[in-house]
Amino acid sequence: MASNMKAVKLRIKSVQSTMQITKAMELVASSKLRKAKERADISRPYFKELYDTLVTISAGNTDFSSPYVRIPDNDKYCYVVVAGDRGLAGGYNSNMFKKVEEVTAGKDYVVLPIGKKAVEYYKRRNREIVSESFGVIADISVSDCFEISRLLCRLFREGQYGHIELCYTEFVSMLSQRPQVASILPLAEVSTEDGEKTAGIRELILYEPSAEEVFDTIVPEYLAGLIYGGVCDAVASELAARRTAMEAATDNAEEMIEKLNLYYNRARQASITQEITEIVGGAEGLTG
Amino acid sequence: MKPFSLQIGTPDGLLFDGEVERVKVRAVTGDLAILADHINYVTALGMGEAYIVLPDGTRRKAACIGGMLSVMNGECSVLATTWEWAEDIDHQRAQEAKARAEQMLAKGGLSDKEYMIARAKLQRALVRIGVTTP
Repeated sequence: MASNMKAVKLRIKSVQSTMQITKAMELVASSKLRKAKERADISRPYFKELYDTLVTISAGNTDFSSPYVRIPDNDKYCYVVVAGDRGLAGGYNSNMFKKVEEVTAGKDYVVLPIGKKAVEYYKRRNREIVSESFGVIADISVSDCFEISRLLCRLFREGQYGHIELCYTEFVSMLSQRPQVASILPLAEVSTEDGEKTAGIRELILYEPSAEEVFDTIVPEYLAGLIYGGVCDAVASELAARRTAMEAATDNAEEMIEKLNLYYNRARQASITQEITEIVGGAEGLTG
Repeated sequence: MKPFSLQIGTPDGLLFDGEVERVKVRAVTGDLAILADHINYVTALGMGEAYIVLPDGTRRKAACIGGMLSVMNGECSVLATTWEWAEDIDHQRAQEAKARAEQMLAKGGLSDKEYMIARAKLQRALVRIGVTTP
């Protein structure tokens, strides 16, 4: 009985120290989340406006001189996958990868992973990776996004792939994050996905100096803007997912400690009772 | 003059959303101004001074770098890489940035990328100075 009690005591201690860690992680995540959420909220209007504008433009577009607009004959895809740097965020990373696997099934594709987990995931699967230099999502700034977009655009123009899609986790609320896959290039695809209602009437648009030149200048910026928006959302989602996961872990640990304490007390009581019985029995033996 | 709705967005947030009489920007082909009832129009923005004229006639100057301007169905939106209102620009800092960039360029021996960055920095500083000098 005594050794059992010791084991329980040790177990309680270890659960307690785990709880301390999860609690600390929860606090860190929630304080970082506040900042990340602010950043995501600030960049969202731009992100949305940019996307909407490009959708409207490409829905009304009648000029297909730019390679960014044409429907390509190249069936290769490039997925920009935004995941986290670290685990312990519930299903955040695995949900993302599951979603990507779902949409990529049967397609020929390369990936540009953003975030350490994404890099690891695709390296393990020997998937062709465009660039690993954006492995740490925590360090991604606006200028990094421009670099990514320049790289993607260059390869797109070279014909390495014909489609670019962005996979990130949308920050819906503190408690709910949804993995998303949005096609960003070519623009013809973007407009057929979202702009079916407007497809009936094509608005004529004046491009200056020419449609090709306008698209060639705008598209890299549009891409960078979308990626930045995706990254901001994904960072906020990751922290929110981690916070929720850690909160649950802390609650579980508390529950476990309670149970173990009960068990420990019971064992303690049982051993005391046993000792008393032994003493009483021994005393009786002496008198008898 | 007839006002129209304008939105100015950058990755740092939506900086303006409201009615204006006129918006002037530096596009890749040169300066242009948009008035109400413009035809659907899209152009890419260069680096330069921009301003908007509010319905009450006040004029707000800004430094606008990169991005696009579009007019769709009478609504104008400027999505810029950076858009800084003149009152938010630190003139002193811009001067210092200009001096630093000029030094970099004068020193020479830069790689292509460094040269591009230094040139861009100088340009940006010049635009900022231009906007803040009355």
